[in-house]
Amino acid sequence: MAYVAVSGGEEAIEASIRLLEYYRSGTEKDLDLEVIEEKMSLLVDRVMSEAGLYDKRYAALALKQCEGSPDEAVFLLRAYRSTIKRSYDSRVADTRNMRLTRRISAAFKDIPGGQMLGATYDYTHRLMNFALQQEDAPALCRKIQQEVEHQEPAEISLCKRVSDELKEEGLLDQYAPDNQEPFDVTQNLLEFPAPRSARLQTLSRADTGFLSGLAYSVLRGFGQVHPTVGELRSGYVEIEVPYLDNADESIWIGEILLTEVEVFNEADDHNQLKLACGYGAVMGRNENKAIAMAVLDHELDTVGDFPAQNDEFVLLHGDSLEMNGFISHLKLPHYVTFQSKLDAVRKTRRENHDG
Amino acid sequence: MEKRRLSKILARAGKEQVKKLADEIKETYSPVIVKAPEKSLTMIRMREPVKESLFYLGEVIISEAIVDLDGTKGIAVMMGDDFEKVLDMAVIDAACNKGVFQQYERLEQMEKEQKLQLEKENALFLQTMVQFHSMDSEGTL
Repeated sequence: MAYVAVSGGEEAIEASIRLLEYYRSGTEKDLDLEVIEEKMSLLVDRVMSEAGLYDKRYAALALKQCEGSPDEAVFLLRAYRSTIKRSYDSRVADTRNMRLTRRISAAFKDIPGGQMLGATYDYTHRLMNFALQQEDAPALCRKIQQEVEHQEPAEISLCKRVSDELKEEGLLDQYAPDNQEPFDVTQNLLEFPAPRSARLQTLSRADTGFLSGLAYSVLRGFGQVHPTVGELRSGYVEIEVPYLDNADESIWIGEILLTEVEVFNEADDHNQLKLACGYGAVMGRNENKAIAMAVLDHELDTVGDFPAQNDEFVLLHGDSLEMNGFISHLKLPHYVTFQSKLDAVRKTRRENHDG
Repeated sequence: MEKRRLSKILARAGKEQVKKLADEIKETYSPVIVKAPEKSLTMIRMREPVKESLFYLGEVIISEAIVDLDGTKGIAVMMGDDFEKVLDMAVIDAACNKGVFQQYERLEQMEKEQKLQLEKENALFLQTMVQFHSMDSEGTL
């Protein structure tokens, strides 16, 4: 037995919902969506990724509506998404053609195309910058615009993946393109063992904290994988859909920012002459999530009793909406179920006392 | 001009630039809206490099419109919810399909400006190219 329906409290509930505005009313300053989008972009990225819906403006709106709670924002976006029909599946987006903003390797210091740090907090001192309390935002905006304007244009070149080189050398297995239509976890119930496409889609939209914690458990010894980040790349990927019924023509609908990671590991005991690879790809700049996804992708290929090796465990417990919804429901009235538990305890105590 | 290129230039262009091009067409022709601008979703299909298989990354919100320009259809689809811009893009597409679009040179100029802007941004990122020097022996590719 779970929870049962209760009645009453309508006025209090309505007042409670109205009271949410109390917590957004402490200042006369508005929080412009553009500001959230442009200055809280890592939070926006996280929410888009966990919602499985790429739209910066709507993610910013959801965050504004729920006081910046990532899980409430994911709930809002998922709920909104469920009201809109799907018109297209995109053409296959090819991350080899990514317009790169960052590309690093922890496995090789020299990689074809070179390493580009891009924008990263990795090398910053984590010291509070109190000057930001009086930041001149228009001046910052103008400064960066001018800096871009004064650049000598540099041709945008595409970079092969680090793994491409290893495949050519025979150190990683090569596969022919597999064009089987992917499993869609938004339309179908997961069954286990889950197909690879379902695994990747589920991990990509999973809660960042859940994936990071699980991957951390693997690295601490509750798993078999000890990976090296072969390549981490962030950048823009172009999205296209078919042009009406014309198979030869496409419509360019825009580009999305994503982060992609390949981690390399020793292959299993039977195949010690090769490396194995795990893959992660997430919307936006969310590097730790992409790395964690890649770690778990490979860990799920191994056999063992650790939680991170169990695809049902990993894939069914990391969805932000499902996990937070279930935990949240514990707050709702459980008067009848709790009463029956209480009755059982009282009865046992009476029996023990009588006995 | 192939559709991919046309839609890329228009999607990257500012709303006012697109409106100006569409308004010029509307001076001569009266486009009829076949499908009013509407929001929907596109699921992103990707290929992963490990097994070369396909998977779904997630969805994007798109707007789509279809117009008829004296018997010739034009369509536009783009990310986001700018209904006015997507309708103007559909008008331009219809004019291209009908063979009456006159402003290809302007499109090419817009494309050049867009490319220049991206290349300048790229230059900024390329300043972070790094050469690490290993203090010990290491693997090479």
